[in-house]
Amino acid sequence: MRELAEWLQGTSFSVTIQSVSWVVPLLQSIHIVTIGVVFVSSFMIALRVLGRIRTDEPFAAVWGQFSPWLWGGLGVMAVTGGLLVVGEPVREATSLSFWMKMILLVVAVAGTALFGRSLAAAARVEFPSGAKGAAVALLVLWIAIIFLGRAIAYDVEVWGPLSPSA
Amino acid sequence: MDLASIVDSIQASGVGEWMRSSVKAMPIVEAIHVMAAATVFGTVLVVDLRLLGFPSTQRPFTRVSDELLKWTWAAFVVALITGGLMFAANAHTYYVNTAFRLKMLALLGAGLNMAVFHTVTCRTVRAWDQGVPAPLAGRLAGAASILIWVTLIFLARWIGFTKGYDFDVPQDVNLDFTF
Repeated sequence: MRELAEWLQGTSFSVTIQSVSWVVPLLQSIHIVTIGVVFVSSFMIALRVLGRIRTDEPFAAVWGQFSPWLWGGLGVMAVTGGLLVVGEPVREATSLSFWMKMILLVVAVAGTALFGRSLAAAARVEFPSGAKGAAVALLVLWIAIIFLGRAIAYDVEVWGPLSPSA
Repeated sequence: MDLASIVDSIQASGVGEWMRSSVKAMPIVEAIHVMAAATVFGTVLVVDLRLLGFPSTQRPFTRVSDELLKWTWAAFVVALITGGLMFAANAHTYYVNTAFRLKMLALLGAGLNMAVFHTVTCRTVRAWDQGVPAPLAGRLAGAASILIWVTLIFLARWIGFTKGYDFDVPQDVNLDFTF
């Protein structure tokens, strides 16, 4: 993995991202703006399941309004995040935060897709506590993903000897 | 007491000292700041888009804003506290940083835009709450708000690349120590 990252870091595409000063801040800015879109979309979906907003609308309507923003935003974040990885592959490959983030991301995306679709199909107005618990759990997952994203830059500070780059 | 000396005393304060000497404080505070900022921007975006008529004008504007703006304010307070802690750690560096100054200006602009909208444009909200487009002033306020918040986030991220120091681990700090 480290060899792969070192090879990637030496490619001219990676070198361009590293050397043009505004590229990384621009990508990170777009990435953060999109966190707002993705996080609040899943927040709205969770609040509806919890019965805190839009109880006059069926869940399917809220899911229908916010899930396209969620998936679209995640698509943008995959592109900006992917380019950031190409720009600094060794830092990412040797970061515990990065790998934990990727694992939680897979869980959160799969969980949200399964959860949202099954609840939209159930056509309920009020949800049982199991569904509410799952909504909160997904929200906690997204919060953990945001934390780990920021922690990539501080891997040794946050994880100490557990960090591969320590 | 002028602004520069207030900034210096913030940096010299116990809070500033603690932020600089703790290894884990900065990443944790920054991560919470990102979450709070994301919540502020995302919730404001939903309200602004409703003002612009997206996805439709069917849902009353006041209901959309009442449901969301309490979360916006709660997240804003969190962002203010975490931002204050980050500022305290290196107050002087932020104070002289152009991106930081422009960000504060953008924050002021967002506040003024919101204040004018709520005190003037919203007076007639009953006439356009549901089913009809918001008046031009309302739509402009919504568009301006989106533009200002996106600009603010860009400026915020630019601070990290222009502030001229790396917030590295202080020397001689044992990384095993617990937070």
